[in-house]
Amino acid sequence: MSDPTCQFSVTHQTRYRYSEPVAICQNQVMMVPRRLPRVRCQETEIVVKPTPTLFFSHVDHFGNHVHTFSIESAHRELSVHVHSIVEVTEPTLPATADGFTWEAVREAILSTQDANWFNVCDFRFASPLISLGKPFADYALRSFQPGRSIVDAGLDLTRRIQRDFKYQSGTTAVDTTAEKAFSMRTGVCQDFAQIQIACLRSIGLAARYVSGYLRTLPPPGKPRLIGSDQSHAWLSLYGGETLGWIDFDPTNGCLVKADHIPICVGRDYRDVAPMRGVVLGGGRTSLSVSVDVEPIRVASPKPNSLSR
Amino acid sequence: MGRSSGGCRQRELHLSILISPDAPFANYSPLSDRFDECVDASGVTRQAWRPLVDAINAMGRDAFESMVADGAALARESGATYNAVEEEGERTRPWELTFIPLVIQAGEWKALDTALKQRVRILEAVLDDLLGDQRLIKERVLPAELLMNNPEYHHGYRGLPKVGGVRLHVTATDLARDTDGSWWITGDRTRAPSGLGYLVENRIVTSRAYPHLIQQSNIHRIAAFFLRLRQMFESLAPRAASANPRVAILTPGQKSYRYFEDTYLARYLGYTLVQGRDLAVRNGMLNLKTLGGLLPIDVLWRHISDEQCDPLELDPGAIEGVTGLLQTLRCGNVAIANSLGSKLSQSPSLLPFLPAAARFLLSEEPLLPHVATYWCGQEAERKFVLDHLDSLTIRPAFTVRGDRPIEPAEMSKQARSQLIEAIRARPENYVAQAPVPRSTTPVWHGGKMQSWYVALRSFQIQSAGVTDVLPGGMVRVSPTAGGIDYAHGAVQLGQDCWVVADGLVDTTSTLLPPPHLSLKLVRGGAELPSRVAENLFWMGRYSERAEAIARLLRTTLVRLTGEQSVSSIPEMPRLIAALAAIGQIEPDYAVEGLKKALPKLDDALPQSLYTIDQRRGLLPSLTAMVDQATAVRDRISLDAYRIVRRAEEDLTQPVQRGGRADSRFAINRLTRLITDLLAFAGLCQESITRTLGWRFLMVGRRIERACQTAELLRATLVSVSMNASPIDPGPMSPSTNTLGPTPPAAKAEGREENLSEKGDPKTVSQPSDERPILEAVLEATDSIMTYRSRYLLRLEPAATLDLLITDDSNPRSILFQLERIVEVMQPLPTEADEVGTPIDRRLAMELLHRVRMADPTDLASTTPSGERANLDQLLEYLTDNLPELSNAISARYLIHTFASQSLTGQVPS
Repeated sequence: MSDPTCQFSVTHQTRYRYSEPVAICQNQVMMVPRRLPRVRCQETEIVVKPTPTLFFSHVDHFGNHVHTFSIESAHRELSVHVHSIVEVTEPTLPATADGFTWEAVREAILSTQDANWFNVCDFRFASPLISLGKPFADYALRSFQPGRSIVDAGLDLTRRIQRDFKYQSGTTAVDTTAEKAFSMRTGVCQDFAQIQIACLRSIGLAARYVSGYLRTLPPPGKPRLIGSDQSHAWLSLYGGETLGWIDFDPTNGCLVKADHIPICVGRDYRDVAPMRGVVLGGGRTSLSVSVDVEPIRVASPKPNSLSR
Repeated sequence: MGRSSGGCRQRELHLSILISPDAPFANYSPLSDRFDECVDASGVTRQAWRPLVDAINAMGRDAFESMVADGAALARESGATYNAVEEEGERTRPWELTFIPLVIQAGEWKALDTALKQRVRILEAVLDDLLGDQRLIKERVLPAELLMNNPEYHHGYRGLPKVGGVRLHVTATDLARDTDGSWWITGDRTRAPSGLGYLVENRIVTSRAYPHLIQQSNIHRIAAFFLRLRQMFESLAPRAASANPRVAILTPGQKSYRYFEDTYLARYLGYTLVQGRDLAVRNGMLNLKTLGGLLPIDVLWRHISDEQCDPLELDPGAIEGVTGLLQTLRCGNVAIANSLGSKLSQSPSLLPFLPAAARFLLSEEPLLPHVATYWCGQEAERKFVLDHLDSLTIRPAFTVRGDRPIEPAEMSKQARSQLIEAIRARPENYVAQAPVPRSTTPVWHGGKMQSWYVALRSFQIQSAGVTDVLPGGMVRVSPTAGGIDYAHGAVQLGQDCWVVADGLVDTTSTLLPPPHLSLKLVRGGAELPSRVAENLFWMGRYSERAEAIARLLRTTLVRLTGEQSVSSIPEMPRLIAALAAIGQIEPDYAVEGLKKALPKLDDALPQSLYTIDQRRGLLPSLTAMVDQATAVRDRISLDAYRIVRRAEEDLTQPVQRGGRADSRFAINRLTRLITDLLAFAGLCQESITRTLGWRFLMVGRRIERACQTAELLRATLVSVSMNASPIDPGPMSPSTNTLGPTPPAAKAEGREENLSEKGDPKTVSQPSDERPILEAVLEATDSIMTYRSRYLLRLEPAATLDLLITDDSNPRSILFQLERIVEVMQPLPTEADEVGTPIDRRLAMELLHRVRMADPTDLASTTPSGERANLDQLLEYLTDNLPELSNAISARYLIHTFASQSLTGQVPS
């Protein structure tokens, strides 16, 4: 039997340089992978320079790790280096997956028959960056036809979004709403995920936002480039008691595999922003970010992988 | 007395013996279909009201009316403004009071007191559950949609520590009374209920109107409640060792409807009033930024919205709170009342679910009913609402807003169908309420006793295990039932509420600290928030500036309206040039030909009092001064504030005659204004302790006065020859600085602006008689009396320049200003590690030295071409460097706030 787990060493380096001294900065980072059924963070280290005056951590409402720190002496450069060793299991779906229609899943949640109905409540309604409405529902229903299985319909919607929306950086920002991106028909992974979440919630399903990393494979025969990996975002759809949360990646139009390393989950980007901060002073800022996902142990290939 | 026959006899007795037609209550007849607070169904005055009604009737109409007028003037002068619905919207109006209180009898209040305590208990339990383990949702007592769709709900509020064992520390309940006399709850206020300040003001004004009555009638005092309020806040302080915790009220600022009340409460309770920009989180503690450094704040009574509290973790655009507050809370280093998330409890959509929640969480039945409310997020309710639309009022489900409630019955067909569509599209966003039954009460309005509708807001304090209900409340009355719910455009007045005690009234409670606590004596000052220092500094500058302009304008207008024809007033061109130089009139007047300009001046000068066109003119300066005074309202005396307001009100009402502003009126106005400004200056001198705040006020004043005098002298006395035509406006080279603050730009920037004005230097040969202009200058600087007492009628340049520049005994001289500036700046705090004299002090001393060294005879000497070169040089130096001094002080002490920016860790793609 093949080993379905992979192990990665993930390094996320953020560096700000300021033209003027910063008197004080207060920051929050959400970069440490949380525990999920298929994810174990085995080791993690956060190095902030200059050394923070104060450093706190707490677990938020959704179970994510939040680290809060302040630097209260003048500085011209801030670097946040987060390094984690994560073990990720390739998601699998039971053979019976096709037997669960999306209407049945929705009905079980609405009627509170589903054992998890209360836990998924957080992810059924509008959130700061995601509003619900008929345009989203209409778009979703073309995939969510009556009697279709939730996995099938979900994947169809994921692929349609990849096809219908143009991946283009620079057209949207971190606070762009799903509605705006939906009307512009363009965006980046954050927007793609939020659009799909809006679609799913608008037809009564529960969907949550996932922040994470995507391991990129070098072109055949080329060496892996360090730091060329990316922060990524996708979504989870609640598939009922048996299937649990199923992850879809609308940016790549596929089900999530072992190359996707989740960090945090929330209602939308606002809940899981990897970094936010307020600085006093600073003048002009320049930012450089590098993400490196280095495989330590890769799953042995399986004959019947998930790709549909 | 309970029997109806007895009641009738009583009534006849009342009419025949006590009530003369002159009695204010003589013709009071309430609406028959409502419960009247004062008179029962058979027309008999209720027991609790009798002492009051008798006292007013005994006064007679005239005495009562004059008392009302006096009281109204008093209330108006306090500058109280009010917004009936507490959401931001800047629709404030003056707070007006009716001088008849609402009287509630002892037994009735007792029942209300019990029910209101229960109300607080229910709201606390529900909020605690929603921000805790959410059993109400898990057990389906509340639909999940109700919480999750509520935009006021933020997950970040969960898991924050409770302080003092509760989440709701100060709450309010809105009440209305049905025709059968039973009370209904119309809404809850659980975030930061407004009204406590008005309530105190109402009580103060009303008890002044009936000084003995309130004591004789055994009315509950409200001071005990405020004492409890203070004890409650102090008990929340996290540092157990601290015997004297610092409590601050966090206000949204002077643009907010809350501002009047916040300043009032801060003064009444003795708390520091702070805005977000006064605060800084450092080392995990919340601090007040002061001139003397950072001072920790222990307890924050926040009057800003929940999501505004911390831009780092809540609304990223928040500006009313302070970055890092939530972490400080999590560390347990500060107590915030009410808890973050408390806004949830006042959501109208919660009302219909509260009885079930009370049964579930507390096994209690609510003692008070709430007005029938239907949340459209549920199917059956939505159907009911759409079927009965015309008999209901529609409101937003989640937020308390200042918008007019929607009355479908009064809508056009089209608007009505749009509403139905909106409800169908987003049903969860709407609630519908049945009409609120309201009682009536007597209100003296328009010269007669009318019957108006009543809304009562009651207040409660909760601390671990104990709830206190304020005996009384804030009462609003309106002649129409709708006017209560939506005050804008409708008449609405405030009223005091008297609760009769059945036992002894606590008359001993006072807001003074208990005698056993020995207070640490302080002669403080370093606690001054930097923002307040800035406001005081600019208040000083603007008030001095307004006075200088007013004096010069009056001097000029008096000459214009004299017997002489305008062209034969020799000093006129110089005065016009000076007015242009200080920015009161357009420079064109000074450079245009005199003959062309003067006819227009007759009109333009008085008109210039009322225009805001000249940014640095009189009215903008005065308005800017009032703005600054308003911003520090909690720090200046009520008397001082009254003067400032009166001066502004006076000036903002232009008087016109035959379509033209009148010069004589203008002179009278200016004289009144000067008197007011002097009174204000005197109060600042006599009633403000010599703390750092006063020092900044003084430095501002002195810098401005020195500037104004230098400017005036430069425009009038530098060039001797003046018989030329067109007018020579004086030697205003392009490098000339026009002095003084430039509202509002300078205020925002804290920087001086150097305006260059077009000069038109002419060389004219004839030296002329300078006596008229010397006299005018002495008059405009309020030094003519001193001059005459010294030199009688001999007006000479050297003596004049000595008096106005180098005489250190004349409080109007430039030297006097500079000496005071240096003196007053001496004790300002300096950095511990600072070496040498700081730049601001060095500048001040240089200025002082330069003027001390000047010799009046040298200054008065002229060159062959008729210029006073020495004088010009000195004045140029002053007009260049006084603004520099102002900038240096601003940079050093006042501008603490760097621009902040946010980090996202995302490369903008």
